[in-house]
Amino acid sequence: MDYIFEGFKEALKLLTTFNREIYGIVSLSLIVSTTATIIASLICIPIGIHFGIKNFRGKRAFSRILYTFMSIPSVIVGLMVAIILSRKGPFGRFDLLYTPKAMIIAQTLLVTPLILGLTYSLSKNRAKEIENIGITLGGSKKDIIILIIKELRLDLMVNVVTAFSRAISEVGAVMIVGGNIKYRTRVITTTISMMKSMGDYPTAIALGLVLLIISFAINSVIYSYSGED
Amino acid sequence: MEVTVKNLKRYYSERLVLDVDDLTMEKGKIIGIIGPNGSGKSTLLNIIAGLDEGYSGRVRYDEQPIDKEIYKEMTIVFQKPYLFRRKVYENIEYPLKIRGIKRAEIDERVEKIIERFEIEDLRDKKAHLLSGGESQKVSLARALIFEPKLLLLDEPTSNIDPESIKIMEREIVRFNEETGGTVIIVTHNMEQSDRLCDDIVYLEEGKVGH
Ligand SMILES: Nc1ncnc2c1ncn2[C@@H]1O[C@H](COP(=O)(O)OP(=O)(O)OP(=O)(O)O)[C@@H](O)[C@H]1O
Ligand SMILES: [Mg+2]
Repeated sequence: MDYIFEGFKEALKLLTTFNREIYGIVSLSLIVSTTATIIASLICIPIGIHFGIKNFRGKRAFSRILYTFMSIPSVIVGLMVAIILSRKGPFGRFDLLYTPKAMIIAQTLLVTPLILGLTYSLSKNRAKEIENIGITLGGSKKDIIILIIKELRLDLMVNVVTAFSRAISEVGAVMIVGGNIKYRTRVITTTISMMKSMGDYPTAIALGLVLLIISFAINSVIYSYSGED
Repeated sequence: MEVTVKNLKRYYSERLVLDVDDLTMEKGKIIGIIGPNGSGKSTLLNIIAGLDEGYSGRVRYDEQPIDKEIYKEMTIVFQKPYLFRRKVYENIEYPLKIRGIKRAEIDERVEKIIERFEIEDLRDKKAHLLSGGESQKVSLARALIFEPKLLLLDEPTSNIDPESIKIMEREIVRFNEETGGTVIIVTHNMEQSDRLCDDIVYLEEGKVGH
């Protein structure tokens, strides 16, 4: 039992002394997952709304396929991206594999179906009424998408946070395409899994705590936003 | 705007809920639609508003089929109004904003309509927190602000106190007289239709009666 207590003590020390390596790892995690979430959101929110309010043939099948992709395992996404970016792959000449850019690409692809699916299902249920008001007040297609985003902003924000949480807590994709290279592509989750196998519990616990603090901080922000209304 | 409806049929599953052979609603008039619950009044209004395309038959606006321009020139106030999650003022200005009208003119027109509706006390409130009756007033003001050529009203005063009904009726009539806009109003209140309407359409089980 003692080593757990020792682990926590050591972890707090690492955090409070602003250990350079730890902070590098944490900030890379934040940068990669935030960028991926933002890129995926900018693309997928308008598209998700568009398909949510549109009536088209095969909408049911579309939903089912989309919902399946929402829970795609991160190692599969990692593998796909690694194949595409590897030397011999179609994008091999950009030399991106084992760089933070590759990690951003992988996480963007990972959360794309998630944001698309969540936005789609939200708008399928809630956006029709808003669309009708928009039409009726003379809005163009673009006006209406903007209106829907503004009206559903709280729910959309919760979806974006869900996607971010998935990104920052996944290990499979970033491990495969990033390679967990010290000072270059090491992020919170890959470090935790490595430290654990090396028996370095304090660092693993410290990073685990950071991950928890990040989730807590984000959720508090969201909560205070929705509470304000 | 004149509205004509020919051979209009609307089915829900197998059930025929609307069946109108020939109906003309003349330009510049206030037309009342009355009839019992479930007789198809809201269905008819939604079809005219261009929000329900699951019908057969023909609907014409000044003899034209519906298009983008016509969508911009008509509006509907729903039985259950939906206001945006923003201030009352911002709700009312919305139709003018998307039409690219200048700030100064927007402010002037919104202020005027707030004054006419006597809702000064609501102007900075969050619209989704208003009561049912307050919402209906704001929703009518938002529809009138851009002076549509065709105004469709689905029981706009069903939740309203007598004093406010007077204000709303006065504004509907003023709109009709000042702009010549056509008004089609669904109501259960016979006195209201007597007060306001030039013509009355009676619907029963989806058919126009007499
Ligand atoms: N989405 C729908 N699906 C199935 N049936 C519907 C739908 N909308 C309306 N109906 C049916 O169509 C008929 C006409 O409805 P509508 O809402 O037009 O009546 P109404 O005259 O406006 O009634 P009220 O006075 O209660 O507002 C009703 O029998 C209703 O049950
Ligand atoms: Mg009705």
